[in-house]
Amino acid sequence: MTSDMKIPDPLDLDRDEEARLRRVAGLPPARTPAGEYAGFESVGLPERPPQTERESEVYTLEEGEMLVNMGPQHPSTHGVMRLVVKVRGEVVTDIDPVLGYLHRGIEKLCEEATYTTVLTYVDPMDYLGTMHNEHAPAIAFEKLFGISAPRRAEYIRALVVELNRVFSHSLMMGFLALDMGGITPILYGFINRDEIVDMLAAISGQRMLFNFFRVGGVNWDTNDEFLSRLGTWRSHVLKNVEMSERVITDNEIFRARTIGMGVLSGKEAISLGVSGPNLRASGVAFDVRKAHPYSIYPELEFEVITQAGGDSNARYLQRIAEVKQSIHLIDQIIDKMPHGPVQAQVPGIIRPKPGRAYAAIESPRGLYSVYAISDGGPNPYRFRMRDPSFVSLQAIPKLMPGRLIADTMAVMASFDPVMGGVDK
Amino acid sequence: MADLCRSRCAADRLGRRRALTAPAKAGALVRLLLDRFPDLAAGLWTDEDTVEVTIEGDRNVAVLQALRDDPELNFFFLADAAAVDYGVTEHLEVVYHLYSDRHPAWLRVRARVNRADPHIPTITGLWEGAMFHEREMYDMMGILFDGNRDLRRIFMSPDYRSFPQRKDFLLPDDAADSSAAGVRPLERPETWDLTRLSDELAPGVIAHAEGES
Amino acid sequence: MELLLGVLRFLLSTTLILLLTVPTAFVVIQMELKIIAGAQLRYGPNRVGPWGMFQSTIHGFKVLAKEDHIPDQADRATFTLAPWMVYMAAAMSMLVIPFAPGAIAADFNIGIVYFFAVLGLSVVGLLVAGWASYNKYSLLGGLRSAAQMVSYEIPLTLSVVGAVVLAGTLNFRELIEWQRAHGWMLVWQPVGLAIFYVASLAEINRTPFDMVEADSELVAGPFTEYSGMRFGFFFFAEYVALFIMSGIMISLFFGGWLAPWPFPAELDGFAGTVYGVLWFFIKTYIFVALAVLLRVTLVRIRVDQLMGVAWKVLLPLAMLNLIVTAAAVVVFKL
Repeated sequence: MTSDMKIPDPLDLDRDEEARLRRVAGLPPARTPAGEYAGFESVGLPERPPQTERESEVYTLEEGEMLVNMGPQHPSTHGVMRLVVKVRGEVVTDIDPVLGYLHRGIEKLCEEATYTTVLTYVDPMDYLGTMHNEHAPAIAFEKLFGISAPRRAEYIRALVVELNRVFSHSLMMGFLALDMGGITPILYGFINRDEIVDMLAAISGQRMLFNFFRVGGVNWDTNDEFLSRLGTWRSHVLKNVEMSERVITDNEIFRARTIGMGVLSGKEAISLGVSGPNLRASGVAFDVRKAHPYSIYPELEFEVITQAGGDSNARYLQRIAEVKQSIHLIDQIIDKMPHGPVQAQVPGIIRPKPGRAYAAIESPRGLYSVYAISDGGPNPYRFRMRDPSFVSLQAIPKLMPGRLIADTMAVMASFDPVMGGVDK
Repeated sequence: MADLCRSRCAADRLGRRRALTAPAKAGALVRLLLDRFPDLAAGLWTDEDTVEVTIEGDRNVAVLQALRDDPELNFFFLADAAAVDYGVTEHLEVVYHLYSDRHPAWLRVRARVNRADPHIPTITGLWEGAMFHEREMYDMMGILFDGNRDLRRIFMSPDYRSFPQRKDFLLPDDAADSSAAGVRPLERPETWDLTRLSDELAPGVIAHAEGES
Repeated sequence: MELLLGVLRFLLSTTLILLLTVPTAFVVIQMELKIIAGAQLRYGPNRVGPWGMFQSTIHGFKVLAKEDHIPDQADRATFTLAPWMVYMAAAMSMLVIPFAPGAIAADFNIGIVYFFAVLGLSVVGLLVAGWASYNKYSLLGGLRSAAQMVSYEIPLTLSVVGAVVLAGTLNFRELIEWQRAHGWMLVWQPVGLAIFYVASLAEINRTPFDMVEADSELVAGPFTEYSGMRFGFFFFAEYVALFIMSGIMISLFFGGWLAPWPFPAELDGFAGTVYGVLWFFIKTYIFVALAVLLRVTLVRIRVDQLMGVAWKVLLPLAMLNLIVTAAAVVVFKL
C-alpha cells in the first residue's frame, strides 16, 4: 500500500454512489453543501429548500449540533405530534413542532352538517375535555338562534363540565409523572377518571365522546344511577385526590425536576396567548368563568386561584387546586339545582337568523372559543374553534432552548396539551 | 349568500327569550371606540356581549396596537384570530377577538382582505402567540401575512397545493371515485363551474416546483 | 489429582452459575410484575400458571421467538457483541457471590475487588450497543449510561472500603465471618450502607436512576434497535444485576448467609449450607422487592442532577466515611 492511497470513508462511498445514480437518472443532487439546511432529510422531510426564515433558522446545523426527531410515534407526546429538536449533546438549542398528524378537517366538516350534528363532530377535538368542546358551540348556537337553555339544563351543563374538569386535571397529574418516569400516579389518575366516566356514562350513554349537549339544553335529565354514583364519588373523592397527589407532590426528585423548569412569566404568557391553568400558574388572574361569565357561573361562589412562579411545579399545583375548586363548585351546583325541563322547545330543523356569534368558555386547558357565522341555512356558514392547546404549544420553542432533552417532555406535560384539539 | 344582519337591536336579532350573558355595558366601550376611531363608526355593530368593528386589512396592526396599548381600552389578550371566506366572488376576512379587563364585552375586529391579492400585515409583533393562528389561516385559507417569519403550512403537508377551507375547495380525486359518488353536486364533476376556481398556490412551494425538473 | 478435582469443581460451579442466571432473572421479573401491579392497584399477571407464576418464563420464551433484526447500517460485529458483554459481566460477577459457607463458586481472596472490576464491564457493553446501532436515540442513551455508570462506580467502591478496612479482608467469606463475630456491618458502617445503596441503584440503572432507558424520552436508549434474544440478553442482564447487587449488599452489610437474632446464625455441615442459602435468598429478595417498590414510586432524576449527586454528594461522603473509619480503626485498635 502506498502512503498516498486514501481509503474512502464508507459514508462517503454511499454519498458518491448516490450522487452518481442521481446524475444518471437526471435528478438534482440530493445533498447540499454542509452548513446549509443539512438536517432536512435526516428528519424525514422531503428534500427542498427551507420555505421561511424561521425554518432555515431551525434546520441549519452548526458545529456539534444534530436534529433528533421526537416523532409522531412516541410514548409521551400527548398524541401524535412531531418535535424536531436540535440538540448539542444533551442541551436543546431549538425546537420545531410539526403538527397536523391528527388533522381531521372538523371545521370544514361542520360546514356541511346541521347545527345539532355539529355538536357531535366537535366531541373528539380535545378528547379529554369533551363536555367543554360541546359547551362552547352550544352557547354560540344559542346566541345565533336567539334561545336560551332552561335553568336546570344550565345547571346540569355546569355540573358535567366541572366533573370533566376534575378528571382532566387528574389525568394531567398522572401524565406529568409518567413523562418523568413515575409509573404509578397515572394509574391513580385513571382510577379517578374511571369513576367519573362511569357517572357520565350513566347520564349520557357514552364513556368518552359524550354527545350530551344540545342546542337549547342537554339531552337527558339526571337519573338515579347518575345521582347515586355522584354521591358515592363525592364521599371519597377528596381522599382519592389527596392519595394520588401524595405520591409525587412532596417528593424530592419530583420537586427537583419541576421547580424552576419552564418558567413562563405572566407577560410572556399573555403575549403567547397561553390561557387557563398555565396562565394562572404564572400569576395572571384570568379565568373566563370570572372574566366573561357564561352559563350559571355568576351564581356560584368561587375565586380565581393563581400561583406565583410560572414553573412546572406551579402549573402542577394550580391543577390540584383547581380540582379542589371544581369539587367545591360541584357541591354548590348540586345544592342549588332547580327543577324544570332540560331542553328548550325548539323545532326539529331549526334555522337561525343570519348573524355572527362568539362564545368562549374555560376548558381544562384554557380559553376555548367558538366563532360561528350563520347565513340563515340549516348548516353553519363558518364554524371556527380556537383550541387552547394549539396556542400553548408555542410556548415550548420559547422555553426550551438551553435546557436538556429530558426537560422538554416534562415541561410539555406540565402544559397538558391534547393533540386532538391542536390538530382539530 | 344572504347578507349578514347588521341590526343593533338585541331583541330584534336574537329573539325575545334570550337572556343576557353579560351586562349590557358595551355602551361605554362603544363610546370609547367612536372617540378613538371616529372613521370606524359606520362599521360598528354591537350585541349584548360583543362589539364589532370592521377595518381595511392594511390598518390591522395600527388599530390593534392602539386597542392594546391605550390604557382605557386595554385589550391585552388576543383570544382568537380566524379567517372567513365569504364566497368566491366576495372578499376574505381576518377576524380578531380581543379581551379587556376594563370592558365586559368581547371586541371583534374584522379586517377585510382582498381575494385577488390576499395580503395583510402580520400581528406577530404585537402578540407572539398569533404565529400559529396566522400559519393556520395561511394553510386553510391562503391569506398571506406580510412580515411573518414563519409562514408555512401547519396542518397540511408542506407540498400541499390548495387551501381547504376556501369555499371553492374541491377534492376531485376522491369525489368521483367513491361509491357514493353522484349524490351531491360536489361529487359530480359535470356540475363543477370551473370558471369559479381560484388559482392561487403556495408561494414557496410553487417557486421551487417551477425551478425543478 | 487435586488439580483435576479443582478444575472439575470450577467448571461445575461456573456452569451452575450460568444456569442459575436465567431462573433468577425469571423470578426477579415475576416479582417485579406482581409488586408493581400491587402498588398500582391492579392484579398483575394472573392467568399463566397459579397466580400468574409462569408469566416471566413465558416472556423469556417469547423473546426467543421474536424476529432478530439488525439495522442495515449498524455495525454487525459490535452490535452482536454488545449483549454478550453485558450478560457476561453479570454472570462473571455472580461467581463470587457468597451464597453459603460451602457454596461459593469462586472463593477469591480478592473477591470484592474482582466483583467491582467485573461489574464495570457492563458499561462497555452499553456504550458499544449505543454506538453500533446507528441510531441517534441509542447514541444518546449509550453516552448517558457511560457517564452514569462510570461516575457512580467511584462512590460505590469507596463506600465498601470502609467495611473492608474494618474487617481487614477483601474476601467475602471472611467478611461474613467477621460479621458473625462482631455483628452485622450495617451497625458499623451506616453511612457506607446508605452510599452503597444509592450508588448500587445507579449502577444497575434502576429508577430513580434509569435515565439510560428513559422510555418516555428516548424510547429505549441503547436498546432501541435490539429485538429478539439480543434484547433478551440485555433484559435478563438487568434483572440478574439487580439480584447480584442485592446479594452483594446483604453480604457486605447485612450478614450474608447469617440468620438474624432469634435464629442460630449458622448450622453445620450440609444442613448449614442449605440453611445459609435459604437465608441468603430471603434477604436478597427482600432487597430486590425494595428496589422494585422504589421503581414503582419514584420519578426519574435528570442526567445532570444525577451526575451532581454522584460527584458532589456521594463522593465526598464516601471519602469522609473512609477517613473516619480508618481513623477509628487506628485509634481504637479494632
